[in-house]
Amino acid sequence: MKKLINKPENYVDEVLQGMAAAHPETYAIGGATGRMLHRPQPVAQKVGVVSGGGFGHIPVFGGYIGDGLLDACAIGDVFASPDMNPMLESIQFASTGKGVLCIVGNYGGDRMNFDMACEMAAMEDITAVKVVVADDVAAAPPEESEKRRGVAGFVYVTKIAGAAAAAGYDLIQTQNVAQKAADNIRSIGVALTSCTVPQAGKPTFDIADDEIEIGMGIHGEPGVGRSKLTSVDTIADQMIDRLLTDKPVNSGDRVAILVNGLGATPVEELYLMMRRAKARLADLGAELAHIRVGNYATSMEMAGASITLMHLDDELECLLNAGADCPFWRN
Amino acid sequence: MAFTTENLRTSIVRIKDRIGPIGDEMNALDGRLGDGDLGVTLVNGFRNMSEATEAMPEDLGMALFHAAKAMTAVSGSSFGTLMATALMAAGKNVKGQKEVEWVEVAQLLQSAQDAMIARGGAKLGDKTVLDSLAAIIAEVRDEDSPDALLNKAASAAREARDSFKDKPNKIGRARVYADKSIGLEDPGMAAIVRLLEALHP
Repeated sequence: MKKLINKPENYVDEVLQGMAAAHPETYAIGGATGRMLHRPQPVAQKVGVVSGGGFGHIPVFGGYIGDGLLDACAIGDVFASPDMNPMLESIQFASTGKGVLCIVGNYGGDRMNFDMACEMAAMEDITAVKVVVADDVAAAPPEESEKRRGVAGFVYVTKIAGAAAAAGYDLIQTQNVAQKAADNIRSIGVALTSCTVPQAGKPTFDIADDEIEIGMGIHGEPGVGRSKLTSVDTIADQMIDRLLTDKPVNSGDRVAILVNGLGATPVEELYLMMRRAKARLADLGAELAHIRVGNYATSMEMAGASITLMHLDDELECLLNAGADCPFWRN
Repeated sequence: MAFTTENLRTSIVRIKDRIGPIGDEMNALDGRLGDGDLGVTLVNGFRNMSEATEAMPEDLGMALFHAAKAMTAVSGSSFGTLMATALMAAGKNVKGQKEVEWVEVAQLLQSAQDAMIARGGAKLGDKTVLDSLAAIIAEVRDEDSPDALLNKAASAAREARDSFKDKPNKIGRARVYADKSIGLEDPGMAAIVRLLEALHP
């Protein structure tokens, strides 16, 4: 293991302290166990938007706290769901009387704990509902889409939900538009090297120098199979083909695209992937109405990338372009 | 006489005081089939809950709720999450009430069982605590004396544990060792027996 860290067991808390030190206007650490990251002050008179999940994916999840984004976020250990308590604390923090939407990645522990947190909140007369992000097309076929993992699509769902809440949508409207976004998002990743969980101390999986794995999950879950490393154009084509098979893009469609780095891949290589993706989608007559390239959902030092597409309608496009401000997303 | 927050406090503290050897026994049992953390979960869970007893309100629903919350702070164990789920389901049923008739305890257990099935995905017959609960519910229905209720519950739990001993586990990590689990007590079912025994004054 070759990392710039102190004691592995302090990794998560010290990263949070670093984030709060760098951006005190955005992040504050709270909760009984210091595992609720939140805005310095709650924003009154709007639906609260929160999330939570395992650590190791910054900016996902807590990095997206900010104006027009999340109000608070429960922080777990690396790749492990937080327990219910910081989730409930997040809901309590974000609640200003209009209800709270929880954006949850499709992982067993995250879902179960958020279900409990929502029930607990109900006992305190706070209405909290959730929307589940399950965008990884490699994780399960379309007929079992409820089994898909949540990956970089979380970023779009968060942006849409945060913008809707800031625009004055009520809780049900916010949940509905977040669900609409989730339904229109598809992602696929490719891994080149493994990540290393600090407390594990060694790589999560082995992969040969000349191998890649398309569809690998952000915790190293198996993808659709190993293959030899080829050109970035070929790899991008394979990824885009899978996305298009799952949800076709037609001439005249307006789509958002996120070419995301998993942590250790140079942004320059992401631009190579973007170049190919743009050509492919232009061939189909689609318009790329919103483009992001960078490290938006990571897996520590894993090398690799993911491509996320979101089909847009007027409402989604408007919310995607609405004002938002956090260290990792501004517009 | 009815079940109140005070009864809940006493029960939790009583189990907490006697949980040490139960924890060791459950760790050993669970280590043969699961990840060996059942005892730790119980010890930490009852310690957390007993720390929460003082602040428990007289509203029994909210008190059960405090107990559930304390239980969830024991991270990482599905058994802990399911126990919290059960406490919450029971709490929801009696929110706003300061007491509940003993005869209604079976209904609380039933709602706890329903919630655990919904959350955990196990079914009756899978050789889990659900089978213990089903046996207890059948036995204590219509019982209005607390002492008789506890005795009946404990003997139902023992019977369930023993009658499932020679069946395979059908869910959870133990399912991987389904054949190996034949002839072994299910750790969760065994835990229910010990917890009920510990409730005796």
